[in-house]
Amino acid sequence: MTDQTPIQNSMKSGTWKKSSCKMCIHSCNTVVHVTDDGVINKIEGDPDSPANMGRLCPKGNAAIMRHYDPTRFKTPLKRTNPEKGPGIDPMWVPISWEEAMETTVRELKTSIDEDPRKLLPSIADFQKLYLWAWPLVVGNSNYFSTAGSFCGGGYHPMNGFIHSTFAAANDVNYCNYWINNGSGDGFSSHLHTAAQAFHVANARVERNMRVVCVEPRLSIGGAKAEEWVPIKPASDRHFALGLCHVLIEEGLCDYEALRNDTNAPYLVGEDGYFIRDSENKIYVWDGKDNKAKAYDDKSIGEFAIEGSYEVGGKPCKPSFQRFKDILAECTPEQMSEITTVPADTIRRIAREFSEAADIGNTINIDGRTLPLRPAGYNYYRGAHAHKYSTQSNHAFKLVNMLVGSIDMPGGHVGATLDDQKVDNGHVAEGDSGQLLGTPHQLGPHPGFSFPPDNMDLMSYFPLGVHPGHLNVEVWKNPEKFSLDFEPDVMLICHSNPIWSLPGKREDWFDIMRSMRFIVAIDIVPNDTNAFADIILPGHDSLESWNMTMIEPPHTEGMCLRQPMTDPLYDTRSEEDIFNDISEGLGLLEVWNSVLNIVNGFEESPNLKLELDQKHSDKELARRKGLNWNGKDLDWYIEHGHAVTPRRTDKWYKPWDGMRLHFYIEDIIRERDGLKKAMDNAEVPIRNEWHWDDYQPLPTPVLEPVLKDNGEYDLYAITFKDIQLNFGESLSNPWIKDIVYRDPVHTALQLNTKTAAAKGLEHGDLVLVESPYGKIYGRLGLTEGIHPETIGVSNSLSRMMSQNAGVPYGGGHFNDMLPADLENTDACSGQCESVCRVKLTKLDEIPDELKGDGSLYAYSDGKAAQ
Amino acid sequence: MTSYGMVFDVKRCIGCNACTVACKQENSLPDGVFFTRTLSAETGEFPNVSRTYLPTICNHCEDAPCEKVCPSGATYTRDDGIVMVDGALCIGCGSCAVACPYDMRTQIDETQLTNGLFGDGNLTPFEEQGYSRFECGTFTKCDFCSERVDAGKDPACVATCPTDARVFGDLDNPDSKVSRLIRDRMGRQPLAEKNTRPKVFYID
Repeated sequence: MTDQTPIQNSMKSGTWKKSSCKMCIHSCNTVVHVTDDGVINKIEGDPDSPANMGRLCPKGNAAIMRHYDPTRFKTPLKRTNPEKGPGIDPMWVPISWEEAMETTVRELKTSIDEDPRKLLPSIADFQKLYLWAWPLVVGNSNYFSTAGSFCGGGYHPMNGFIHSTFAAANDVNYCNYWINNGSGDGFSSHLHTAAQAFHVANARVERNMRVVCVEPRLSIGGAKAEEWVPIKPASDRHFALGLCHVLIEEGLCDYEALRNDTNAPYLVGEDGYFIRDSENKIYVWDGKDNKAKAYDDKSIGEFAIEGSYEVGGKPCKPSFQRFKDILAECTPEQMSEITTVPADTIRRIAREFSEAADIGNTINIDGRTLPLRPAGYNYYRGAHAHKYSTQSNHAFKLVNMLVGSIDMPGGHVGATLDDQKVDNGHVAEGDSGQLLGTPHQLGPHPGFSFPPDNMDLMSYFPLGVHPGHLNVEVWKNPEKFSLDFEPDVMLICHSNPIWSLPGKREDWFDIMRSMRFIVAIDIVPNDTNAFADIILPGHDSLESWNMTMIEPPHTEGMCLRQPMTDPLYDTRSEEDIFNDISEGLGLLEVWNSVLNIVNGFEESPNLKLELDQKHSDKELARRKGLNWNGKDLDWYIEHGHAVTPRRTDKWYKPWDGMRLHFYIEDIIRERDGLKKAMDNAEVPIRNEWHWDDYQPLPTPVLEPVLKDNGEYDLYAITFKDIQLNFGESLSNPWIKDIVYRDPVHTALQLNTKTAAAKGLEHGDLVLVESPYGKIYGRLGLTEGIHPETIGVSNSLSRMMSQNAGVPYGGGHFNDMLPADLENTDACSGQCESVCRVKLTKLDEIPDELKGDGSLYAYSDGKAAQ
Repeated sequence: MTSYGMVFDVKRCIGCNACTVACKQENSLPDGVFFTRTLSAETGEFPNVSRTYLPTICNHCEDAPCEKVCPSGATYTRDDGIVMVDGALCIGCGSCAVACPYDMRTQIDETQLTNGLFGDGNLTPFEEQGYSRFECGTFTKCDFCSERVDAGKDPACVATCPTDARVFGDLDNPDSKVSRLIRDRMGRQPLAEKNTRPKVFYID
């Protein structure tokens, strides 16, 4: 260090520019350093961002290694090896953009001209959601991806019903009692991890916020929590119902909120529908006058929420009473038998939760007096991604609603995906004073069709998110499902469905092999684009423009992405590619019309895209920024983002004057609408449809996976941590250097005593078999897992692929999951994410784990360093 | 006088290793080289079990054994207490690595500088611009990002930590955040019995 030239990258001569991260689906604000020689050598969090406040997670810190990844697609490519499969070299040869686009347009057109439904799109860039809408241009609503099955099939529609938002989070600003059920919020995953972890750590340390983690595996959150509550997988709803039972039985609810701010008093008839007057207004029971009145009758003295009544000859009960009746079978003792959580623990947590909610207390925020309810029950995929996902989601929301914490300071609050304009609200009044439920947060439902227009049967899920996993069952049984078209072309954009979909990999490979033509827009080689015929190489996030707001939990506002350097290779933006495809198909004007609608430009004449022109990523970013706050691109280039704390009028009780859905009548209305449509169309599978999955209130029905399954004596779960969030990370050398040194991510996690009872030891090689599939792995014994559970890190689910930089494991967890209707929530389309398994000790290393490229060989090498 | 030190708030640390990767980014560390690591250990028996995450780094000891044994003078302590290694003077004898009770010294070998992070024998432009700081065969370690510190910035690991589990500052200033945290929350030094007087403290 004798010379004066700096050796630390951020101190070298160069320039800093503001941008936003894209190493997961969210968009932490960044500052990026480019040396005078044009090398990107440091990325940090933007200290001026109220979201991540200068922080970044490990993935965000590793973006440079994605940018300079030597395996990046550098030019358009064409395969020369007709054989397709995992680990089979496609033998790419470079071709010109002209040839690549000409081939792509010609092949897409051939199929689309014949039948637009023959296209299977798999478009999954979450920071450019408008690209998801491209298939509308050709009248296609297929979906070959996992957005529903592995994100929030039941979660997003329920947030739409309860909060009229896409996502939800506990309010870190005031929360004092934070339940995380199957969720890493604030510690390791879900919404804007680095940002949320910062705020949650402050609340824990500075405010002594108590954290209770309910989950089968001791996650990072569980490790940091005041209390880890180990629970049997897939029984989370029963834990929540146990809490609800205690809250109601012991009178620990916010009764004022239930009476005045929810539909808990609305009278429900025996058929499940509300009782209505001649003007279609819903009746409530006035406990003072002892008679039924329309919900908005000014003379109501007391909204009854309990009891049995008769109105116009129809027996009925307030919806609260209906739930109370269900909860009679949900005592802590009964729920303990299912969850294995001691009854005393369920009772104590319910009492602590209600006490922390401080019912009756208020706070003045920006001139509004609001209930202060510093207790929130947060949850995510681990808790809700089960066969009865809608009911599970609803149960978790009701724990919050019973103590009045929905959308209240300190409680469980809805987070919008993208407000588009700073003044856009997200709530509207619906039927009879209720908040308008908005279950379709990602766009309108394609509508019922028979024969189905969608290979994933989305037309039969009026309340769901696309159940992409069903593509395989329908594809294998076209006659059973009356499929009258045969998809033969696939358009992939930043999506890796055959890595992420549940079900047998071989089945998914077969679908891919059956395609006449596959085009993939992507950056690095992966499992799915290995099946492509043409690769269209995209810019990475350090070479492109974008403007996005993507479900930040506590902030709002557009985040700019701008190019730090010229593209390293002969790549293009997704916008340029889709513009050219649209033009080639003669549909450029339609594409611009779609972009105007989905980006909210339609209402602003000055922002509306000119229909006959091609608009670049930069121009779309400019108009989205203008739409947010009227600021042009130069303002965003200087500031990087328009992020501010969530405006309190939109964040806290935005539905003031309306009532929340305690009881969701829309669920049975949609059920009956679907029934009628299926009957009219004589859909052959209508009698197999699981109509009982449509429940207006959650019940304690057992998940199918919880039922006795003989020899399969363990439950298998999969998990990610902060290093592995969302998209693929394990081709990145910096992420590999931390993940493969962590025992949690290099072995199958099994409870020490369970292993001893089975005669198994740490390091043993085992075969893990479910009724549907199998994986191999090495055991890592731990005290931090429920004794009936085996935990499989996502890092182990890697297949041999064209990307040799990704060490392969002994199979894929998702192979062990059923991707069928039987295990799908007929209401939301969510599929089961837990399976029953049995273990067999192996004496020899199976072929799958042999070779230097296996993750076990790789992690042993790391450990030896 | 200024005496720089660091406090690790174990209650805040979530073991995410953002610090580890930020350090690799800032200091162009080759594969397998770490100036900081976060360890984890499980404690207790099911169901009363927890896992602790423990960040580790060069402790910049006031009485640094690595400096004492360094025969070439490559290891030295700045006036502000940062223990430095001058790669140009290091003869690669490894005395420092033996003397350090914390295993915080790493020798740079040639393959680390030539294999490249992607292991294909090529260096990325990022590595090309960064590896000139390392001399093959010499020993290296964390220097608290001394150049950043000189410019008034926090070390890279501190700046990026999502939970503020790392705090950097002047131990000689009783009003600094590090001094207050050590005082208020009973900061403890790692392996204090070795009498190296570490300038890194742990609180929980």
